[in-house]
Amino acid sequence: MTTISSKTSTNGAGLVPCLELDDGWRTATGRAVSVAVIDSGIDTTHPDLLGKVKQSVEARLENKKVVFEPTEGEDSAGHGTACAGIIARIAPDAEIYSIKVLGPGGLGDGHAFLAGLEYAIKRGFRVINLSLGTTKPQFFAPLHDLLDRAYLAGCIVVSAANNLPQPSFPSVFSSSLISVSKTDSTEPMDFGFRFGEVIELTAPGVNVRTAWPGGVRRNLTGNSFACPHVAGIIALILEKHPELTPFQIKSALFAIASQNQQRR
Amino acid sequence: MSDDARDDFTEKLRRLVETVDVANALTEPLARSIENLLMISAREINSSDASVLIRDGDDGDLRFLSAIGEVADQLRNLKVPAGKGIAGFVLSSGQPMAVSDVGEEKTFYAEVDKETGYSTQMILATPLRHNGEIIGVLEYINRRGQPPFEAFTPEEMDKAAIFADALASLVNAYEAAKMFRDLGNRMISGGEEMDVTAVREWLTDLRSSAEHREMMDLAVLVREIASRGEAERSMCREVLEAVMKFTEAHSETQFLNY
Repeated sequence: MTTISSKTSTNGAGLVPCLELDDGWRTATGRAVSVAVIDSGIDTTHPDLLGKVKQSVEARLENKKVVFEPTEGEDSAGHGTACAGIIARIAPDAEIYSIKVLGPGGLGDGHAFLAGLEYAIKRGFRVINLSLGTTKPQFFAPLHDLLDRAYLAGCIVVSAANNLPQPSFPSVFSSSLISVSKTDSTEPMDFGFRFGEVIELTAPGVNVRTAWPGGVRRNLTGNSFACPHVAGIIALILEKHPELTPFQIKSALFAIASQNQQRR
Repeated sequence: MSDDARDDFTEKLRRLVETVDVANALTEPLARSIENLLMISAREINSSDASVLIRDGDDGDLRFLSAIGEVADQLRNLKVPAGKGIAGFVLSSGQPMAVSDVGEEKTFYAEVDKETGYSTQMILATPLRHNGEIIGVLEYINRRGQPPFEAFTPEEMDKAAIFADALASLVNAYEAAKMFRDLGNRMISGGEEMDVTAVREWLTDLRSSAEHREMMDLAVLVREIASRGEAERSMCREVLEAVMKFTEAHSETQFLNY
């Protein structure tokens, strides 16, 4: 049994924090864990997502400032719905929050994406799924700052690598977030950890069957779909161990992935 | 009009026509190169159809710039509204993705299919980036042969990303040449109110980039040295060649090995 949970033990020099994790998280459902999906919106009427999306907000430009307003759940591109579908399948009782930053009207230029991340941190969502990225150098520093704020606030940001020749932010910031790239594994819980690589986590992202607007499902490929697998698994762990900090979650993922790799 | 003014006007017009000729001479081969590269890449990815979509305006709309395949002629210049479909998502998010069963989708692709009579079954879409900016989307549609088709593989997605890099440079050069050509054509045709805002923005953007300023400073410096005499020119060439060799030897350094 790999055990990781916050407790203290003695090592001769006094009490020290120790991490033990039993397998209880494997039967968890993500109950009461908030997971934000910063994306193209979520189709909340999809049968796979009915009652699972607690709130939908949308970015809007107001006097050159990005503001967020409650909106009806809708997704013109399909991507956000697909990500939410994967999270809901792994953690069916997680509380999903849709933060729409991509769409018509000049959104998706990077500023809305950053504002969405800031909004999610301010709201204190425990897990933030970020299947997006930017290669614009001007966003490097502000994203770095936001990721540090998320880390200190205890928000666990999970980001998709972009698989393109250029590095994309924030997926290459390996210290303060969890970055994921895809594998062709068909087992949803089969994720890996590659310590020493910039993109540390791997998870299923090839031909993943998931929700798509219009009440249907699609087979999708991309790192974007590996990312919500890990976000869902983190929601399971947090249900059982809500006190865990971002670095403890990373340690837990490392330990579980080692087990997964030994089983192969 | 005085003789001087007429001569001046004739000279300006001659230069303008030359500029348009140069722009024309540039756009045609660039358009052909884009199409050729699309064909080569589609063969490599075992896809039957491929297209390049470029950003159209500031609101995230897209327009088919180039296409190969069954309905290529109908696709060219067709517009995709902002945020619509997979191409719209890839443009705004920068994330490549593939869908292996688009067929029944009642969204954008069904609308395009209705218009072209085509049947889109699967799509691989990856962003076109130039200097960190996403300027468009590269799409591959369906496999060669008859359905059922096998899904696009992760290796094919990686290949598409490499082709996208090469295509993005061509697309950017094509758009710049086309802008000059269109501007020249409008000036020659005259009469119409000319909208030069886009040109001004592009030039301002170009001039305001730190990289461009540094390159201009460097060019001025080299010209200054070169104008001082043969010995200075020779020394300058030797120094620059040495720098070139040095940078070539060190060009394998990559960002965080990523």
